[in-house]
This record gives sequence, structure tokens and C-alpha cells, in this order.
Amino acid sequence: MLRNTLRGTVAALMLLPTAALAQAIPATVEAPIEITFYNYNLASAGIGADGTKKLIAEFMAANPLVKVNGVGVPAAEMGPRIQADVAAGQGPDIAQVVFQDLDFAAHNLGAHALDDIIPAAEIAAQTEGMSPNGLKLGVLDGKTYALAYTFSTPVLFYNADLFRAAGLDPEKPPHTWAEIESTALTIQEKTGAHGFDACIMGANGGASDWLLQSVVLSNGGRTMSEDRKTLTFAEPAAVEAISMLRGLADKGIYQNNAMAASLEAMAAKGLGMMLCTSALQSALIKGAKDKYELRDTTMPGFGDKQAVPTNSGSGLVIFASDPAKQRAAWELTKFLTSKRGYTIITSEIGYVPLRTDIVNDPQYLGEWVKQHPLVQPNIDQLSRLQPWVPYPGMNYRQVHKTMMDAMEMAVFGGVDVAETLKAAQVQAQQLMPN
Amino acid sequence: MATAEIAVPARQTRRRIASGRFNVTPWLYLFPALATFVVWIYEPLARAFFLSFFEWNMLPTAPLRYVGVHNYTNLFQLPKLWQSLRNSAVYILGLLPIAVLLPLAIAIITHDLPARWRNLYRAMIFVPMIIAPVVAAAVWRWLLDPGHGILNLGLQGLGSKPVGFLTDPNIAIWTIIFITGWKLVGFSTLILSAANANINPSLIEAARMDGASRWEIVRDVRLPLLSATLLFLVMLTILLGAQWTFSYINILTQGGPMGSTNNIYYILWDFGFSSLSVGWSAAAAVLLFVLFGILAAALLWLMDRYSFYDN
Amino acid sequence: MTISLPQATAASPLRRRKTKRHWLANAPGHVALTLLSIICMFPVYWMLVTSLRPANETFETTLWPTSASLDNYIYALNAIPIWQMLLNTLVVSSVVTVIQLVVGLLAAYGFVRWQFRFSKLVYALVALTWLVPLQVVMIPNYLLVVRLGLLDSVVALILPHFASAFCIMLLAQSMRAFPREVLEAARMDGARSLRVLWDVVTPNLRGIIASLAILIFISTWNEYFWPLLLSRTPSNSLIQIGIQMFMTTEGTQWGPLMAASTMASLPILVFYVVLQRQVIQSFMKSGIR
Repeated sequence: MLRNTLRGTVAALMLLPTAALAQAIPATVEAPIEITFYNYNLASAGIGADGTKKLIAEFMAANPLVKVNGVGVPAAEMGPRIQADVAAGQGPDIAQVVFQDLDFAAHNLGAHALDDIIPAAEIAAQTEGMSPNGLKLGVLDGKTYALAYTFSTPVLFYNADLFRAAGLDPEKPPHTWAEIESTALTIQEKTGAHGFDACIMGANGGASDWLLQSVVLSNGGRTMSEDRKTLTFAEPAAVEAISMLRGLADKGIYQNNAMAASLEAMAAKGLGMMLCTSALQSALIKGAKDKYELRDTTMPGFGDKQAVPTNSGSGLVIFASDPAKQRAAWELTKFLTSKRGYTIITSEIGYVPLRTDIVNDPQYLGEWVKQHPLVQPNIDQLSRLQPWVPYPGMNYRQVHKTMMDAMEMAVFGGVDVAETLKAAQVQAQQLMPN
Repeated sequence: MATAEIAVPARQTRRRIASGRFNVTPWLYLFPALATFVVWIYEPLARAFFLSFFEWNMLPTAPLRYVGVHNYTNLFQLPKLWQSLRNSAVYILGLLPIAVLLPLAIAIITHDLPARWRNLYRAMIFVPMIIAPVVAAAVWRWLLDPGHGILNLGLQGLGSKPVGFLTDPNIAIWTIIFITGWKLVGFSTLILSAANANINPSLIEAARMDGASRWEIVRDVRLPLLSATLLFLVMLTILLGAQWTFSYINILTQGGPMGSTNNIYYILWDFGFSSLSVGWSAAAAVLLFVLFGILAAALLWLMDRYSFYDN
Repeated sequence: MTISLPQATAASPLRRRKTKRHWLANAPGHVALTLLSIICMFPVYWMLVTSLRPANETFETTLWPTSASLDNYIYALNAIPIWQMLLNTLVVSSVVTVIQLVVGLLAAYGFVRWQFRFSKLVYALVALTWLVPLQVVMIPNYLLVVRLGLLDSVVALILPHFASAFCIMLLAQSMRAFPREVLEAARMDGARSLRVLWDVVTPNLRGIIASLAILIFISTWNEYFWPLLLSRTPSNSLIQIGIQMFMTTEGTQWGPLMAASTMASLPILVFYVVLQRQVIQSFMKSGIR
């Protein structure tokens, strides 16, 4: 009894600071207000833009006092654009920030942690039903800066027809890297098509290390320590993972092809397996139409260890400082990450739903998931998801680039893996904040 | 304006600068251009020079952290820097024939053709310039793809193995040079054709009447008179060659494979200009400017010495 | 080998009296030029052909689509406001071309016509502006544009392009090739410097000016980064931004991209065809007055 009272008192005391802060933000939208939303799906012409416009329209219909000004900014330009506009005094109120840039947005661009501006109770209500691993994606240094919005997981797409032609069973796709190797060799031998491709590094993935982090994590290693102070991509566990990839490259299985080239090869039935972001599925489906049977499965692991998928994609980050705009931005965030929001994001744009409960609910995604089996591996992997961690400090892009250049050399350049990674780690460590 | 006419009588050599008498007219002519350059280029550049000694994220409320020459040393310690410098030289040597010599040949050969052929060939050679670099890069990647590109399918038909035009570290740089040159031929041809057309035909006629052969006319009349334009194009290629290749490197290889298509401009862009840390991008800008500035000064001096004008 | 310079005669039958060359002598030239033309045109042809292929046949390698269709064009026209973007780009490119030529002519004339202190230094400073890459000045210029309140306006797209070192240097160099007598003669006539520029110098630079017009137009037409930074809505954007909207994080839509690109290339082609005739001017059309 006493303990409960004590617990209750402590809980109430803990709520006090947040209650004090939360007084700054109004409880509802009280007057007409306009907010700008920087979004990279709007900068494309196609399903991404259409789905997003629909979401915004539905939100505005339900919240007549809020006008959302959606501005399309290509994903690669999102960071520089936000920076330029914040510097010019006209930053966005809410933006779709790629996870890679999250640290810079949080510490340099004035992004607000949700815990700082929104009452805890509201956050808890909104995040109920979200995958706990999915929630961790937007957490930095213990605070939630972003709610995962459009994100995807690594998925192994494969051509079932080529499998059959090579005498393999499409019902039993490879689940370990060793199996990938043998499957790829078999496909190459029996059908002449190339066996395997991946978006991990080099021409196909050098721009972003999300899949690389996943591969390293799957082997028990990390590219960076958990406290984000030390780079660890030259540690033995990571080196072992990279050496495995190097082995695949040496055998001619893993080649340094551009992503567009791989997509085209799949469409031309010249590629058996492709390990990449599930966001590519609509492009792959289009290329496979009437040509071959496209299937996919979860990402491969090392031997007995379960694979650890990371996420690619973006989260919603609030930049507004005016409390009324913060309230409006938060209402938009709530809608976009609601059950209805994720239903549209998954079924119409092609990303992964953060809410696992809508997957089987016939009112939301139930029917759709049954008709689109390709999305299933993503849902299966949600429970094992680990965040794609951004590098800290002002030099984060250079740190990332130094590491990725070394990775490319180590796998495709014929150099000593451990030495190359070690040299790069030393160099990049100098660029980390001290 | 009256000063213009009275200032220097026709007989006085133009090399004597009217000492003590400040003539405002040329400055009036130069003013719009100079104002534009000062506002939109030199002021930001001066600011970049200042910022290159700091670490800053560009927000007005954020502090500037003084780091001395740290940004510059970071750039110099980039592992691929020397490789990219070497590659830059390769790019220039590879682009010069395609961007200067080939268009020269085209301009001269087509000049003497009947109008219909001349315009047709020139138009066809100009066509690459009408499509956007992004699209040109995409199409060339398809055509050169080892698996299903037409070029490799043709090579395989002839019995050779498919060539990784963009994936082979030894070949990729030449592929980029080729694509850049392909896009540029029309540009140089246009300029040289215009310069060629400006040559006094009576000079050509006189030489022909003197019994000079076609080649001799080219060598002794056209080339010297085109020398200014040729040197101008050479200078253009040397100074801007790295920038011209940027789009294609960015879309097709991102400096790879293994840094084989990197050049000084791309690496400075990759680590500098595209960084959100202002110190890095400012230092990269200053570095590029100084490096090429020295080169440009040398080339301008050369141009001045060796250009031949018809007067 | 010295060449004596005869008096430039007016309408001489020089141009018509080309020695008739045997077609065989010209053959190697024709062969080389034909080969070059094919190499130059084939990728552009490929772009056109791809734009006519349906979605699941985009990567076919046949020389003509097995089932040609205009679907990509229809899709592109519906997906982005192409006509509006083309119009915007046309306006911006035309204005920039005219302004850059005028400013360039004035500046080049300033350099060539007068010898004044610092002229070499200033010329060098003009040339050096070439070396300043866009990305470096982009953000400070953007901040300036915002401070001037010009965001989302056509003016902001045009303002930084008022002058170009390339234009000035090429014009200066062409003017330097003028025979001194022409400028001297005009000056002795008492013509003011501006009239000399307009009446004597400019008509004789028609070829170079036409070439520059084409090149400036194209370079502005194909610009991407600066317009991207300034764009806020698709209907106020330029065509390059429109084209790249087909390159998405979910994969690139090649068919519509090629269709949009083909449509974006046509205005330039027209511009070229119209102006290139000016490039074939003979020397000193207006002669010495």
C-alpha cells in the first residue's frame, strides 16, 4: 500500500517538470494556423507524392483550422535545405528527416525532442500499439526526436523462376550467408544469370550505411559504440562480417554494380537475388510484371545467429518553436503515424507499417497484406529491428564517407581487410566530436 | 562621355595610359558585370575565406568555433586526395583532344562543304547538347551496361567478353571522359565555327591564289587566326574540365569504382561543398579557387603571349 | 610565309567561286562526319525510343519499340505541370540570355576599347569568377535572396546570372580580333563609343553572339541546383526539377522521365536551328563605312 502511494507520488513528481513544460503548448489547435511540412515524397512524381497528398488532404479535412503547406524537397537535399532555411529564418515547422541526418538535425538545426514539448501522456497514447523496436528508431541520447514515418527494412528479393530453372526450391530461399553463396553459384552455373547483388556498399550503397550497419550487427559487431563516442568498424566482429563479403566478391558473386543496374538486371531476368530496401518493391513489381515471379524473404544471417535488420528511411521531426505551431505540427504527426496514416503509407506508398496491430485488422491493412505477400518479411523483421544510428558531430558526413570508402576498398579493391578498415577507423575517429 | 573622343588623338600610341587623367567611361561599361560579380561571387567567396578557419553550422544563433587551419589539414589528409589530383590530370589530357582538336577538325572540314551538308552535320553533332546531363548519363549507362547494354551485346556478338565500362577501375575514367566529351563536342564546334567564319575570306583567297594547298591554308592562315579561340578553349578545358565531368561522376560512379573516377573537384564536393559543416565547404572552396587561380593566371599569361590577331 | 592583305571588297563573288572538288576527295570527310553524327545522335535517339516504350519493356534492346505507345507522355503530362514548367524555363532562359549578352557586350567593349589602369587585373578577376563553383556561393546567395524578399520569384533565378565570365571573355577576344582601322575610323567620325559599339562592332559579331546566345540559353535551361534551392511549388519550378521528380527513392520511372526529357529538349533544338544560321556569316558583313 505504502509502496504504491510512494510510487504514485514519485510518478506525480516526475510528471511535474514535463507538466510545467507542457503548459507551453496549447492543448488543442485554437485558431487558424499554417505550418510548413518539408517532405521528400512530395518531390517525386508518382505514388509517393500521391499518397502524401492524400494524407495531407485527409488531415486538413479533419482539422479545418490547420493549413499544411507541403514543400517537396529531394531526400538528398533535405539536410542542406533545412539548414539553409533555418539560417534564413524560415525553417520548416515539421520535416521528414532521413535518419542519417537525425543527429545533425537534433544538435545543429534546432529540432525539438518530443519529450521536451509534448506532454508525456499524449506521447504515450500515440505510441501505444507501435512496435517497440520501431519506436527506438527515432531515439537519440535517450530522447525521442523523431517518430518513424516512411521507413523500410532490408529484404532479399529473388526471382522464383530462376530458382526453379537452377533446380532450387523457391519455397526455401537462403537464410544464411553461406546459403546465399551456394545459391548464387548454383544459379550462375545452371542459368548463366548473375546470382546475387546487394545495396550494402560501393556503387550500390556507398551513399548510406544503413544496410552495412545491419550486416555488421548481424555478426555481433557494431560500426560505432553504443554511447556513440567511438568508431568500432575495424573491430574483429565487424572485420569478420566484411571479410565474408570480401569472400563473396572474390568468388565473383558480389559485384560492384550501381543500384539502377541491378534493378534493370532483375527486370531483364538476369539477376537471381537482390538484398536491398523493401522500398524498391513497387519498382521491382513493375519490372517483373508478366515476366517472372518475384518473391522475397527476410535478410540472411551469419550461421546460427539471427540476422539483425536495421531500417532505412525517415522520421517526422518537429522544428517549430512557436507553441501554437508545435501543437499543429504534433497533430499532423499524430495523424500521419496513426492507424489510418500507416495504412496509406504501406498500401499506397510502399513502406513498412510501424503499427503491427493494423496488419491483421481487416479495417486497415488486413486485406491488403493478404494480397501483397511481399510486405510480409518486413513485418516479420519488425520484432528484431535495431535503429540505423547516425554519426554524431558536425563532421558526420565525412566520418561516414571515410568509412564507406574504406569498405568499398576492402571488399572490392583486393586490399587487406583488417588493415584498411583500421586505417580508416583511425582517420575517421579524429573527425568525431571530442 | 565627351572625354572618350578627345582623350587620345588617333596618332598617339594606345599603349600610353593617360597619366593622372581618370577616364570613367570604361568603368561605366564594366559596372553591371563587376557589380554582379562582386555581389554574387566575390562577397560570398570572401566570406567563405573567413569561415574556412571556423567550425560552424550556419545558424545565426550558433557560435563559430575557431579551428585555425584544421579544416585545411583535414582536406589535405583525405586518403584519396592525391589520387584525385592524378585523375584530374588524366581528365584534362583526355578531354583536350575531344573538346578542342576534334571540334577544330569538324569546324574546318564542314566549313567548306555545301551549306546543306554543313548545317546538317553541325546540327547532328550539336544534338547531345540539347539533353540534360542527368538524362545523358542515364542513357549512356544503359548503352554501356555489361549485361544488357547494346554496346556490350555487340561486343559479345563479335566474340569478346563484356566490358565493364563503368565498373572496371581501369576503364571507368575513360568512359567518363568519353561521355563528357560527347556532350561537349557541339559546344566547341559552335564556337570554333563562329570564329572560323569570322576569318577574312580574302586572306584565304589570296593564299589560294598564291598556290597554297588546302592543308597549307589551314596550317598557315586558319590556325594562327583561330589561335586565340583555340587557346581560349584549351584554357576552358583545363580550368573547367573537372567541373564539366561532375554531373556524370555524380550520377554514374560517385568517384568510384575505388576512387578511379574521382577528380579534385569531385572530392572537394564530396567532402567539402556538400557538407553541412560550413568550415569544410569554405575551406574546400578556397582551396579550389587558389589552386585553379594560379593555373588560370599562368594560362592567361600564355594566352596573352601567343594569341595572334588579324591586326 | 607572308600573306598580303588585299582590300576587303564588298559583295565579291568570292563565296560563289568555290573550286568544285571531286566528291571522292571529300569522301573521307563525309565518312568521318557521318560516323561522328551517328555517335552523337544515337543516345538521343535511344532517349526518344525509350519514351515510346511501355513500362515493362523499358529495357528492351530493339531499335524500335515492339509496341510503341504514348503512355509515358500522357503519364508525364499528368504527373507534373510540364507546360507550366517549360514556360517558366523559357522565360528565365530567354531573359538571362538577353541580359547576359548585353552586360557581356558592354563589359567586353570596356576592356577592349580602352587601355586603363588595372584593366588587366580586373580582367583576371573576371576570369577567376569561373573558378568559383556554384555550391560554394549557393547558400550565401540564397540568404541574400531571402533577405531581399525575392524568394519564390523569377527575379531570384535571374539575378545571379546577370554576368558571365565566359560570355565576357569570348566577346572580348572576338573584339580584339577586329582590325584596328574599323574602330579608329568610327572614332574619327566622331561617333560616340556607345554608337560604335552598337552600329559597328555588334553587327560584325553576329556569329559569336548567336553562338553565345545558344550556349547561354542551354546552360540556363539545364541548370538544376540553384533553381532547386529556390523552388517551393512544382508549378513555379523549372523543367529540370520536373524531370528529376521521376527519380524517386522508390526507384526511377524511366519511361515518363525520358518522355519529359524529350519534351524538354525540343525547345532548345528549335532555338539552335533558328540561330545557327547566324553563325555562318561571312567576315565583316557591313564592311568599313
